[in-house]
Amino acid sequence: MNACLKKMAAGLAALTLAGVLWLPCLHWLFARPVSTFYVKAGVSPAARALAARHLELWSDPQRRQQELDRMRVSNAEWDFMGRSYLVWSLANLGLRDPAMKPACLETMDRIIAETLQLEKEKGMTFFLMPYAKDRPYVVHSARSLFLDGEIALMLASRRVLEEKPEYQPLLTDRVNLIVQGWRRSPHLALESYPDECWTFDHVVALAALRTTDYLDGTDHSALIRDWVAMARKRLVDPKSGLLVSSYSVDGTPQIGPEGSSLWMIAHALQWADEDFARDQYNRTRRELGRTTLGFSYAREWPDSWKGPPDIDSGPIIPFFQISAGSSGMAFIGASAFGDDQFLDTLKATIDFAGFPSQKRGALKYCGSNQVGDAALLYAATLGPVWEKVKAGRKS
Amino acid sequence: MNLKLREAIRRLWRAELFSPAGFVQRALVISALFLLVHLAGLREYTSILNGTVGPDSAGWAGSAFLGMTYIILYLAFVILAPMLILAAGLLAVWQRLIRRKDRRVQTAKPPNPAPAR
Repeated sequence: MNACLKKMAAGLAALTLAGVLWLPCLHWLFARPVSTFYVKAGVSPAARALAARHLELWSDPQRRQQELDRMRVSNAEWDFMGRSYLVWSLANLGLRDPAMKPACLETMDRIIAETLQLEKEKGMTFFLMPYAKDRPYVVHSARSLFLDGEIALMLASRRVLEEKPEYQPLLTDRVNLIVQGWRRSPHLALESYPDECWTFDHVVALAALRTTDYLDGTDHSALIRDWVAMARKRLVDPKSGLLVSSYSVDGTPQIGPEGSSLWMIAHALQWADEDFARDQYNRTRRELGRTTLGFSYAREWPDSWKGPPDIDSGPIIPFFQISAGSSGMAFIGASAFGDDQFLDTLKATIDFAGFPSQKRGALKYCGSNQVGDAALLYAATLGPVWEKVKAGRKS
Repeated sequence: MNLKLREAIRRLWRAELFSPAGFVQRALVISALFLLVHLAGLREYTSILNGTVGPDSAGWAGSAFLGMTYIILYLAFVILAPMLILAAGLLAVWQRLIRRKDRRVQTAKPPNPAPAR
């Protein structure tokens, strides 16, 4: 072996050894205690910083419009979901820190008013993907459970933080539309898009119903039980035991279990059936959650279901099958079910690969967008609203 | 002092790839490039990771190019650069051990026997 080859071999051996030493240590650069992200009581530093950025955004119309426009280029739904997650987060935040309540209420009202106004002026398709216009809806004409469920939960969350009488009839109308639609449908299936019913939207609607019962003393428990029974019977993928993501009006599954939906589904199911919710979380964690070299992430599909990347999953990184959408939503599942170890290592991943940027106490993840950051804020704050609803009727 | 520093930089610049100085040189180049794109604000364009265009009117192709440039240099900075520095240290230690061993072998060699008559 000549001297040059010897040098190359020694250099490559040193690089390999360096890799073996460095890669398992890398996560230590990004590891922080889980309490920096989620705390049972009070407000975590991450929640405060993420909230600061969103509150700032909603007080600056020009910057907000720029952010929303960037998302709408890809998906108009994100504009809407960013609003929903933010309102739900602010309700929890206001309950966690009474000093923040006035700012939270002001922003929640601004978001709700603007969202209702846009829905009224531009129609529901303003917040939907273009294919919503391709064919007519089967059950409800011109109603999407995606909008009705999330708006109902926005109104209800606002009223949990502080009652606002003007919102009561708005919430009642929205809930009645959902209930009437369900009663007309033989499989308790309401469309979000034409002949496309999303489990995600149904469980969010269940959460809205349960919160309405807490606020107004109504009783939708039988309907909630019926829906859960239907879901256990018709919507569970037999191979993984996970809930499918979407199905047609006749209850036929369309898209299988996908991570970008499942983590939130498991969380929202807590409002309807805690045992079923826990079972779905455990299965999702086992099928989709992964940890490599101290970094956790989530896959979009379980091994038993082959599906392509889509607008919800984001690009899927080959080999590891990492989905940005599913990994972001995994924070919600991990927070909701107190899975601190998973949450801790998910946080390391987002601090490593989410490109955080903190300026004047306001945090955003550049690798994310407004809806992604709002979902993270929700994961960092969730709990108090649900605890109040669970505790029983508002006095 | 200035001359010494200049000489050290010159030696580093001309270092062979698979040498401790070569590894350090590459780690420094990666760090400098990363610092450059970071200061230029390219971090904002990493939003392409979730399918969102970057700020301003960069468009899809522009955002993808700028975002990928940042991501590649960032990964090189946090993964490759520390590996190169570690490898440089490991290689330097190994080379020193080899040199010391060679010196010992040389000093332990018996003197040449006197030529036979």
